[in-house]
Amino acid sequence: MRVLSLDSATEVASCAIIEDSKLLGEVIINYKMQHSKTLLPIIDSLLVSLDLTLKDIDGFVVSKGPGSFTGLRIGMATIKGFSQGTNKPFVSVSTLDSLAYNMCYTRGIICPILDALRGNLYTALYTFTGTKFITISDYMVISVEELISLLIKHNSPVCFIGDGLIKHGDLLKKSFSDISFAPVHLNLARASSLGEIGIKRLLMGEKDNIYDSSPMYLRKTQAEREYEKKMETLKNV
Amino acid sequence: MEFIVESVNKTMNIGKKIGSLACAGDIICLTGDLGSGKTHFTKGIAEGLGISDNITSPTFTIVNEYEGRIKLYHFDVYRVNDPDEISAIGFDEYIFGEGICVIEWSNYIRDLIPEEYISINIMKIPEEDTNFRKIIIEYKGDRYNYIKEIRL
Repeated sequence: MRVLSLDSATEVASCAIIEDSKLLGEVIINYKMQHSKTLLPIIDSLLVSLDLTLKDIDGFVVSKGPGSFTGLRIGMATIKGFSQGTNKPFVSVSTLDSLAYNMCYTRGIICPILDALRGNLYTALYTFTGTKFITISDYMVISVEELISLLIKHNSPVCFIGDGLIKHGDLLKKSFSDISFAPVHLNLARASSLGEIGIKRLLMGEKDNIYDSSPMYLRKTQAEREYEKKMETLKNV
Repeated sequence: MEFIVESVNKTMNIGKKIGSLACAGDIICLTGDLGSGKTHFTKGIAEGLGISDNITSPTFTIVNEYEGRIKLYHFDVYRVNDPDEISAIGFDEYIFGEGICVIEWSNYIRDLIPEEYISINIMKIPEEDTNFRKIIIEYKGDRYNYIKEIRL
């Protein structure tokens, strides 16, 4: 099975083509988030380099977020278009799953963090038991302080990955003794990681429905924000 | 800071001055009655940013984007009933991005405006001629100290 995967959930625009257990090629552009301009030329150049056309692809994988609103919509629209046009299945995979999977077999907890703005992070907690990749929390949008107190309860080594490190790396470093950060070459939402998770699902016959599959934005609603504000005021009284 | 202007051109000139001084990431909140000149003020800002496109009100599109010295994102949130609607177009990525955001009727989405911003209130002066306007400019955050340089 040959799968094309696309990740545009973060500042990174990335496309990969995987054939069974072989990564044929991957393009990563981590510059100025212009997905609407860069994504299609990336896909095109990758296909051309591999002497392939869209007709040679058996399935598609797209990042479903959380992440940038615009980026997620561009990725989802592109892959839905490919899937419908070629009549081949697609699956959507969480950006957080894919990021955590970059740090395969790391001991303790793997914690992807993406900047959700306004002091918040998109995150989830993962662990490897043997070769099994397990999610041990919900997908969350929480403040860095909330994340730190949650992780302290786990009392386990923790490895962080994601663009949230830019703003919060120093604070995290101070907060944990047994801590590691993803190396530069892995600290990106890479389409190859997304594709590897996706191809397994496609092989098991899983597929998203083009009409109801949608990105996972994970943003707080106005009601939640107001509730938090209220609780904050009560705390300060 | 307060200005009394007697023509649309003067309104635009103040906008132009702000546009020429503005920096990437600035947030400019515009309030004022219908027809007070918010969009004209924005036209001035656009001119100051070196944008040659014609600026039209984004009443129905919510946001219009223009390329200039710095990108300009021109919002009109008059039709937004619920701040969640504006969140749903990726508002945070605009206001925490590298462009300049001008937000007309910003009072409708007060909760979503960050702590530091320029606030511009344009008022008609009914006792004077119909073209007279009082323009009050205030700001929060040192990054906006350039406002002090504005003269009529």
